[in-house]
Amino acid sequence: MTPLLSGRGLVKRYGAAYALAGVDIDIAAGEVLAIVGPSGSGKTSLLHVLAGILKADDGAITLGGQRVDQLNETKRSELRRTEFGFVFQSGMLVTELTAEENVALPLLLGGRDRNMAISTARTWLGRLGLAGKETRRPGELSGGEAQRVAIARAVAHRPKVIFADEPTGALDTKTGRATVDALIDTAKETGAAVIIVTHDRELAAMVPRTVAIRDGRIEQPVVAQ
Amino acid sequence: MSPLQLALRVLRVDRRTQVSTVLTALGVAVATGLVLLLVSLPYATESRAERTLWQHPTSFSEGSSDGVVSWASSEDTVDGQLITRIDVAPLVDPADIVLPPGIDRLPAPGEMLRSPELAQLADSRPAAELADRFAAKPAGLLGDEALMFPEQLVVLVGHTPETMPVNASALPALASGEAEADGLLSLLAGVGVVVLLIPSLVLVASASRLTAARRERRLAALRLAGATPAQVTKMVAAETGLAAVAGALIGVAVSPVLHSVATWVPWGGGTWFARDFMLPWPVVVAVALAVPVLVVGAAVAGLRRVVSTPLMATGGHTVKPLSKARLLIVPAAALLFFWTLSMAGESENAMLPMLVSLGILMWSPTLVGPWVTSALGGVFTKVWRKPSALLAGRRLRDDPKAAYRASAGVVLAVFAGSMALTVMPSLESEAGYYSAYRDDVLYLSTDADSAKEIVSRADAGLSKYDLAQRAAAVGQVQIKQGDQYLQGYVVSCEDAKVLLPVDLTCGSAPAMYAPAGTSLSLVDYADSSGVEKTASLPGKPVDAPIGVVLIDPSLFPADAQPIVVDVAVPADAGTREAARTALLAASGGAQVISKEMKLNEQNTELADLRRVTVIGLVTAAVLGGLSAAIATAGSVMDRRRTFGALMAAGTPVRTLAKALRAEAALPALVSTLGAGALGTAVGVGLFGLVSQSLPVFSPWLAAPIALGALVALLAASVCRPALNRVRAEPLADE
Repeated sequence: MTPLLSGRGLVKRYGAAYALAGVDIDIAAGEVLAIVGPSGSGKTSLLHVLAGILKADDGAITLGGQRVDQLNETKRSELRRTEFGFVFQSGMLVTELTAEENVALPLLLGGRDRNMAISTARTWLGRLGLAGKETRRPGELSGGEAQRVAIARAVAHRPKVIFADEPTGALDTKTGRATVDALIDTAKETGAAVIIVTHDRELAAMVPRTVAIRDGRIEQPVVAQ
Repeated sequence: MSPLQLALRVLRVDRRTQVSTVLTALGVAVATGLVLLLVSLPYATESRAERTLWQHPTSFSEGSSDGVVSWASSEDTVDGQLITRIDVAPLVDPADIVLPPGIDRLPAPGEMLRSPELAQLADSRPAAELADRFAAKPAGLLGDEALMFPEQLVVLVGHTPETMPVNASALPALASGEAEADGLLSLLAGVGVVVLLIPSLVLVASASRLTAARRERRLAALRLAGATPAQVTKMVAAETGLAAVAGALIGVAVSPVLHSVATWVPWGGGTWFARDFMLPWPVVVAVALAVPVLVVGAAVAGLRRVVSTPLMATGGHTVKPLSKARLLIVPAAALLFFWTLSMAGESENAMLPMLVSLGILMWSPTLVGPWVTSALGGVFTKVWRKPSALLAGRRLRDDPKAAYRASAGVVLAVFAGSMALTVMPSLESEAGYYSAYRDDVLYLSTDADSAKEIVSRADAGLSKYDLAQRAAAVGQVQIKQGDQYLQGYVVSCEDAKVLLPVDLTCGSAPAMYAPAGTSLSLVDYADSSGVEKTASLPGKPVDAPIGVVLIDPSLFPADAQPIVVDVAVPADAGTREAARTALLAASGGAQVISKEMKLNEQNTELADLRRVTVIGLVTAAVLGGLSAAIATAGSVMDRRRTFGALMAAGTPVRTLAKALRAEAALPALVSTLGAGALGTAVGVGLFGLVSQSLPVFSPWLAAPIALGALVALLAASVCRPALNRVRAEPLADE
């Protein structure tokens, strides 16, 4: 299987401390992967490095066989905007914008016109069970609803990879599971690969492949289904 | 843990609180320093007036028998610099005359005391150009305590009562009366307090808002943990009070520096002594207490939400639309201002209410501005095409108060600028020189008896200085030709051609010259009943289209008296100083008038106004720009998580920066237009206080609006480094 996204020998240092100490990781197109580990293990740093939010101090990252770690910030921003989608803890939605505007935002930033972007946003919100709540603000939605808006925003521009950083961190167990189900189902629909970072092993168990990270190094796969 | 201990602990550990505290303290220091400076201005002018009461007494004796000293003053000029000349003659034993500080003795007749600057100037020039004017021997120097400002050119000339100028008055003391502060500078200081204090307080508000979101969460958590509203209020008062008290102390400490800088700024022809700006200590204490109290009061008032409903502060809140009633505040404040302005025109006591209402009017845009901002946001959220317009529009709509806060200082600066630029050109349009004589003529007014002697002495002086021109006496009379009144001059035709702006050909024999018409009669108001009396003038005048009547002195009736007699000398730029010296020495201290002297006086006044206006505007613009920059940075910091997530998801910094710039600059652009119009209206009103003329509107009125928009844009540009800072931080919860 040719990996869609691949990291080799990834190193990230904060001063003298290693957040990543030589990580190798691959993810195939359409694959769903969970990265688990305790606080401070380096899982969020790994996600940020793979997504190009942070620049690795050493190592190589390829997307579809192309090196992306050597891109400058402008190119990396463009890559994140077009090829990647993101779901953060608590949604990290723009509080001033409505649900549909939040979802439409990446499309607008990608150059789509207003009507097209809003129409696509409404479609995805409908598929995620949020029909009728398109004009609500994040403050007017429940935690689970806000995360589904975040999922809609992450997939609306049909990215190749969706990065989810503790997507259920602020939700109760039931809502958290429903949110991850929604994320996985939506990704399947678009063919996107999903990388979920979580410290919740029960949540990780819902995902086909899990890798554990500790002290900046990948441990043996704990689950391989 | 006491509120103060908690405040200190937060200050020790939280970097943003430290930054906010430092900026708040700086804002309070600036406000305190500026208020102390502006409040000291009336004291400074009063101090000047106190020292120079002997030059400008405000109380005169009713008759010469009541007075102890005969006193006359005149103004002179050399190379555009004003010289104040005081002539005195004792009316009692000189030992019984109380001398003001700085004058160690009364100069004897024929002696003079000069200011150090005048002594130096006179000694450095030929006597014909200056020293001879006083016709007296230097007998010492005037001390600083007798001078209006350090470089003042002033001379005190001693006389006998008989040699005093004709306009002399008797004084009950050499320095008699009450010193009064300069009305114009006091008015400007009052306006300055309002114009500069408000931007200073906006700066303080912007600085303290830097940590508002975080503080609200902290206080809400404390409320949820059981802290009472009073405890929370005390905590905020302690937190803000720390910065405010520190700032006020810094302001008091640096105010002597500000005062020293202010001594270099000329007003009324000269700079200042450092001691002029000394304030009575109760005033310093009052200002040092009032500014922090205002700041703490504003901070506590801003706590209403977290005190009443802490959950709203922690969990977000629904935005309530702003009431349209806000729109009524500006017209109401404008009505109040113009009403108090009309009162101020009638009574001096109404000046304070007028200044207070001006303050209210200047404050009113801060209430209307958010409504306008919200309306603007509403338009943007409907018509947006670009994400930056959407983000800016939503932000303006959702939190118009915060969005407007960034431009509030700039709006106030534009208001002040428009006000000043309305008043200044209008005042400048009033400047000018109106005289019966040609522009190059020097003249003094005297009586008919003295005129002949002055002409004779002046001619001797002119000969002594090798000048070709000669002095002439010009009597002024009123002439009636039919029903029309005309100005008449008793002067020879040849002298008239040189001295008066008339163009005519003189005949060989003495004659009268007048516009063609019926016969002429001389108007005389000498009757105590005020009934007009006329006397026929003998002979037929020569027709001359000159608009005035010229009567050769040999034809003027011997039993008639001119209303006033001038002694005039033509003098071009090359001979002006020596001709002035000859005329002054001949008159013994009369007021010599010339075009350049009058224009210099007006130019000095206008330059003073221009200077303080520019200083005030630059200060207001800098304060406004700083407030806007801090508010913009604070707005980025408040939303750092959202912006961080957007940038992580690939949103270019330039897109966010564009949205933030629009968010900061749009309300400023709209509000500056309104503030410009309001400032212009206030300027028209204030101009009406000092003049009956119509105001002049110059194209420069657009400058404050353009400048305000530019300052707002520049200040908004700080969002870029602020966003870069957010991008550099780890994407994590606070």
